[in-house]
Amino acid sequence: MLPATAVALGVLAALLAWPVPAALARARWPRRDPLAALVCWQAIGLAGGLSIIGALLVHGLAPWGHSLPEAWWHWVTWQPSTEPVRGDHWVAQTLAAVLAVELLGVLALSGVRTARTRRRHRALLELLVRPGGVPAERASAGETLLLDHPAPVAFCIPGARPLLVLSSGMVAELDGAQLDAVVAHERAHLREHHHLLLLPFVAWRAALPVLPAADRAHDGVRDLVEMRADDVALRSLSGPDPRRTLAVAIVAAAGGAGGQVPDGALAVTGGPVAVRVRRLLAPADPLPARARWAALSSAVALLLVPTLLLLLPAVV
Amino acid sequence: MASLGELERTLMDRLWAAAGPVSATELQRELADRGLALTTVHTVLSRLEQKGFVVHDDQRPRRFAPRATREAHAAELMHEVLGQAGDRQAALARFVGSVDAEDAAMLRALLAGGDGAGSDAAGAR
Repeated sequence: MLPATAVALGVLAALLAWPVPAALARARWPRRDPLAALVCWQAIGLAGGLSIIGALLVHGLAPWGHSLPEAWWHWVTWQPSTEPVRGDHWVAQTLAAVLAVELLGVLALSGVRTARTRRRHRALLELLVRPGGVPAERASAGETLLLDHPAPVAFCIPGARPLLVLSSGMVAELDGAQLDAVVAHERAHLREHHHLLLLPFVAWRAALPVLPAADRAHDGVRDLVEMRADDVALRSLSGPDPRRTLAVAIVAAAGGAGGQVPDGALAVTGGPVAVRVRRLLAPADPLPARARWAALSSAVALLLVPTLLLLLPAVV
Repeated sequence: MASLGELERTLMDRLWAAAGPVSATELQRELADRGLALTTVHTVLSRLEQKGFVVHDDQRPRRFAPRATREAHAAELMHEVLGQAGDRQAALARFVGSVDAEDAAMLRALLAGGDGAGSDAAGAR
């Protein structure tokens, strides 16, 4: 029997399903160090899935052995259980399988669907836009397209052949330094593969609509990658006041597109955008090295605990 | 030798400019200055069909037409870019999401040094 392991994993899963994400979503330190906070969110997501599925699996396979690896081996090789198998063991096994298939399946589905959407966007852009519309000094990478549209919009399509798109409205509204800031921000998304950090949270929010933590985690990660891209962009910008330049570009892009949101579409509130602008105009001190290491080691510990609980033979 | 993407754009421009459905031979004749083989025209047309940009009718020879106008395709793309549905957020990374008029005014006030600009801690969500 492995009751202690199952209980410990269950408690960890409960903590990761509610209080931990709530605390991280409320905390103020993430906007001082978006990268460390992003690592924490990834750890919470992975450890949460691992502990809930692990807890069910450990309980469900308890009659077959004294540790999960042993019980699992006995179970897949059709060896008889050493202890009587009750109904709750079958229920736990089934739930573990359903949850694992759902989480991984939705992730795969979401990945396929976004890849398809990206492919269509890329095909549309290649058809509608002739390359070379962007002022030469900003088209250095050769993947920057100018889309003829009055709304000030900038976006990038990640993937094997990433595209960076500026609308003519954006180019008309911003001066050269501000456009550089926009391009640097989007390049940061592409270079650091932020879409891969966000993808699991988009998928799991779809898979677990009843779990408020899934929403919180998604919104947290979505806002943090933007802040991280702002921080990375600032490093490559010259000029007297790059923070203000980027802030002005953000406000111009947000203000101009205000009328374009179709009715019924869920518009992002000023919240996250205002946070971005505030932290650019009045930056808080960066997180002290000690606090950063504490955050990163908690993330590692969060992953190690369920892994060890699952792999080490139960002590009880 | 022009790239496939360039050929696709050129052919689509012709189809959009045409008054009605056009056959591959007519397209080849129109693009005579580029010296395209008829098979090349067919290849590019079938690629465009696969991507859902071109439809053909059942006449003999087949005649091709754009599925939608250039403006409709541009509108479709912008609708998705400006929309906020879940999967699209993962599909592309937009510089700034749309905000409503009230929030936009608040952001401009922030830039002007108005409310809350003094401290990051004031950034209530």
